[in-house]
Amino acid sequence: MSSRKPALGRPQWLDRALPPAVILVVLLAFWQGCVRALDLPPWLLPAPSDIAARFGRTASLGYHTGMTVAEALAGFAIAAVLGVGLSGSIVHSRFLERGLLPYIIVSNAIPIIAIMPLLTIWFGFGIVPKIMICAIISFFPIVTNTTRGLRAADPRIMELMRSINATPLQVFTKVQLPSALPFIFAGFKIAASLALVGAVVAEFYSSDRGLGYLIITSATELRTDLLFVAIVILAVLGVVSFSIFGRLERWATHGQEAKALI
Amino acid sequence: MSPTAIVTQRGAADAPCIRLRGVGLRYYGERGETEALSNIDLDIAEGEFVAFLGPTGCGKSSLLRLVSDLVAPTSGTVTIRGGKAGAARRANDFGFVFQDPALLSWRTAARNVQLPLEVVSYPVEDQRAHCEALLDSVGLLKFKDAYPHELSGGMKQRVAIVRALAWNASILLMDEPFSALDELTKNQLQDDLLRIWNAERKTVLFVTHNISEAVYLADRVVVMSPHPGRIRTILPVRLPRPRTEEMREQPEFLSQVRAAREFLRT
Repeated sequence: MSSRKPALGRPQWLDRALPPAVILVVLLAFWQGCVRALDLPPWLLPAPSDIAARFGRTASLGYHTGMTVAEALAGFAIAAVLGVGLSGSIVHSRFLERGLLPYIIVSNAIPIIAIMPLLTIWFGFGIVPKIMICAIISFFPIVTNTTRGLRAADPRIMELMRSINATPLQVFTKVQLPSALPFIFAGFKIAASLALVGAVVAEFYSSDRGLGYLIITSATELRTDLLFVAIVILAVLGVVSFSIFGRLERWATHGQEAKALI
Repeated sequence: MSPTAIVTQRGAADAPCIRLRGVGLRYYGERGETEALSNIDLDIAEGEFVAFLGPTGCGKSSLLRLVSDLVAPTSGTVTIRGGKAGAARRANDFGFVFQDPALLSWRTAARNVQLPLEVVSYPVEDQRAHCEALLDSVGLLKFKDAYPHELSGGMKQRVAIVRALAWNASILLMDEPFSALDELTKNQLQDDLLRIWNAERKTVLFVTHNISEAVYLADRVVVMSPHPGRIRTILPVRLPRPRTEEMREQPEFLSQVRAAREFLRT
């Protein structure tokens, strides 16, 4: 928190948003100036104004973006349900923990792109293998963070609950789950960005739609301005998902710190 | 006749609130077997305030966990009002206060006090008002909607104490509740505790390693020795009630403290 007073008549968010906005404008102006001064060909480096114009002229952007977001969201949702459920059973059963945890770790060690051809053989070129890639890639951070969160419950409060004869369900809903929430949201935050990466990478491999497809095709056709448009959209999507889960995390901690485990 | 004598007499006449007979506790850990407690015999009367005094490793905390059925003794018996400790636990007879306040960070002060009420199925419509009355009794009504990180150490421990009192548990188990507090706050909370105890006459088991705290608060001080934890001696405190701030300077108080210190040393 800054100790300096905000300038008179300006809301605080403006004070915070102004410096990065100024830097952005300066950088874009410099970029624009260089491209014009050096007369760079647009396939090598398009000017910001060209990229903005391309953005306005490409009607299919919404469709491709929607496709990628749908894949990432569906995969993320599957991973969230399965991951939180699995963590819940891992912390309640030593057998499951010992039996499953090594495989979860090994699954994370396999580069996700290596599985893509296999999934394509099994599930074809449609949306299903892409959703699966997103689910697999976001599964690991959700499981590890949720498991850690469920274990983070204060042992003395657990004893207190036992000393007043609380049921396992009461212990879970009143103590374990709330103390795990910040960790769960931290895991979701990481998983959501990974799901987006998974969707794009999966679309690189095989697809006829989505931002990944847009990037691959515009690169092969040297439509660099369209390539930049896709990258900008992905950046915005990443920032949006990160800030949503960042907000949820802060809400769940009531201003206290929780450290994410990747 | 001093109040201590009355309590002792009543303890002898009635069935004791808590009776420990030949209680031992062994842990089987990675480094083999540890004997935490050995051959503990003790009767605690209804409404008595007993302090357990001793160095770390003398099994004071284990004793509280045994009484409240959080662990089972490896030998001997724990009897609460003639019944099993487990039955007393299921009847919600125990209120716990730890060294650390152990509050839930996502709940306000009032909602922290409410936690046990939700578990012991206290009438839902009365919970809120009851919690506020409890906080008011320790001067924290203003802070009912504050989160733990907005409270000072002493305030947090006050919340933890009224949380243990919330559902009218008849036996209060306190595990070094004031040892992390500064001297001034500690003295205030000791007086708060005595005031509450005086009004409600709960049976209190108070673990501490602070000699003058034990003498100031308790009817009897159980002095323990470590490895394995056993009772060295039981000192009745011959000081009138209510205990007051001035007593801390009086020769009777100081001589009792000295006596307890002698037993700890030998």
